[in-house]
Amino acid sequence: MTYYSFLTAECLVLWRRKQDVFNALMFFVIVIALFPIGINSSPEFLAPAAAGIIWCAAVLAILMAVEGMFKEDYRDGSLEQLVVSGLSLPLLILLKVAAQWFVVVLPLLIIMPLLSEMLYLPRSGFWVLMMTLLLGTPSLFLIGVMGAALTVSLRQGAVLVMLLILPLYLPVIIFATLAVQAAQIGLPYAGLLAMLSALSLLFLVISPFIAAIAVKASVN
Amino acid sequence: MNWRWLHKLGSPKWFFFCFKSWALPLFCIGCFALMVGLIWGLAFAPVDYQQGNSFRIIYIHVPVAMLAQSCYLALGLSGFVFLVWQIKIAPIFIKAMAPIGAVMALIALVSGAIWGKPTWGTWWVWDARLTSVLVLFFLYMGVITLQRALEDIALANKAAALISVVGLINLPIIKYSVVLWNTLHQGATFTLTKKPEMPSEMWLPLLISVIGLYCFVAGLVLWRMQSEILQREHRASWVQQEVMENGL
Repeated sequence: MTYYSFLTAECLVLWRRKQDVFNALMFFVIVIALFPIGINSSPEFLAPAAAGIIWCAAVLAILMAVEGMFKEDYRDGSLEQLVVSGLSLPLLILLKVAAQWFVVVLPLLIIMPLLSEMLYLPRSGFWVLMMTLLLGTPSLFLIGVMGAALTVSLRQGAVLVMLLILPLYLPVIIFATLAVQAAQIGLPYAGLLAMLSALSLLFLVISPFIAAIAVKASVN
Repeated sequence: MNWRWLHKLGSPKWFFFCFKSWALPLFCIGCFALMVGLIWGLAFAPVDYQQGNSFRIIYIHVPVAMLAQSCYLALGLSGFVFLVWQIKIAPIFIKAMAPIGAVMALIALVSGAIWGKPTWGTWWVWDARLTSVLVLFFLYMGVITLQRALEDIALANKAAALISVVGLINLPIIKYSVVLWNTLHQGATFTLTKKPEMPSEMWLPLLISVIGLYCFVAGLVLWRMQSEILQREHRASWVQQEVMENGL
């Protein structure tokens, strides 16, 4: 096995399970549709809330995708194969995260113009929202992979994953929504975007290693 | 310098015998100091010129909030120690400490809400300090549930250590949230480096109750660690001997 063959195999698996990706996307759209129906559908409410709604829905969709990341691999034994393959486990995990991120976030970004129109997000906020999603979602995946790795041997780990990683998600959500809101009212937002990228870089450095330790402990 | 004693402390057996007699005195000192501090603070300290009598909850709120953070710091550090040196006592400490820290964070939140009602006019605001302490509470719950949920004890130890180290990121956020974001919550009451701005009749009972709570928690943790050690090592001959001689 090489890094390249691992990545292609990973992408192939994701492609064969198109339905999962589609489910996450549908889930995302449904959560977003619930807010106008459930709270208030007037533009006065939705325009300032749009960024928060989109981000909350994105976090939920990503949680769903991330939580089962190692489940199948653990069950069929390929996680053990990764550990004994002689390749660097953190790097393999990073590749896996990258493939997942690409598959989940790219469709999200593609339907974003439609959704932001539905939520009356002003033009001034739209590009900043795209930027926050691009810069912020990597850290969501990287944090999530730690939780998924820690709970991989548990049969019912979904709620536990949320409890473990949601506290770490909060700064990302706060900075992202603040940035979009600042852009909407014409305040500078570059600093908030910088904070988002800083968080992503921080977790890029630590989380593959922590996830690798957890995976190794889980498969022993 | 001779580091032998430090290595010895890493083993549950030595730890058990070294600190066996410490728990009760620490607990009693803690209780006593806490009582002195609280009674002094609640009944005899002068009334605040701005907040009236409602400021008196400071004698509960501040020590508990300090402990909530210190406990997590201790949790994260011992997680780090376990990951680096595989010291056996560290996960036992995490298991003993996490529920106490969670209770401290919860009391800090509740007493803060009770304090917030008369002074800010609301039980809860989404202010940086409050939100980050709520996150701290969730982190504690995460550590506790993860360590309980995993049945394999080696895995549970490692997982709890990992997640408590990762959660350390939240501590500077709590600490500096009052400085970085200009929100409703007031600044630190206490610092080691500066002279307190309160009159000494007001901060002395606070200091006493802070120290008291530290001792109280230390005593509790030692107790919990001892019972955890006995449970984990129940097959070892020294445990059997100990129980035969001194009872539980």
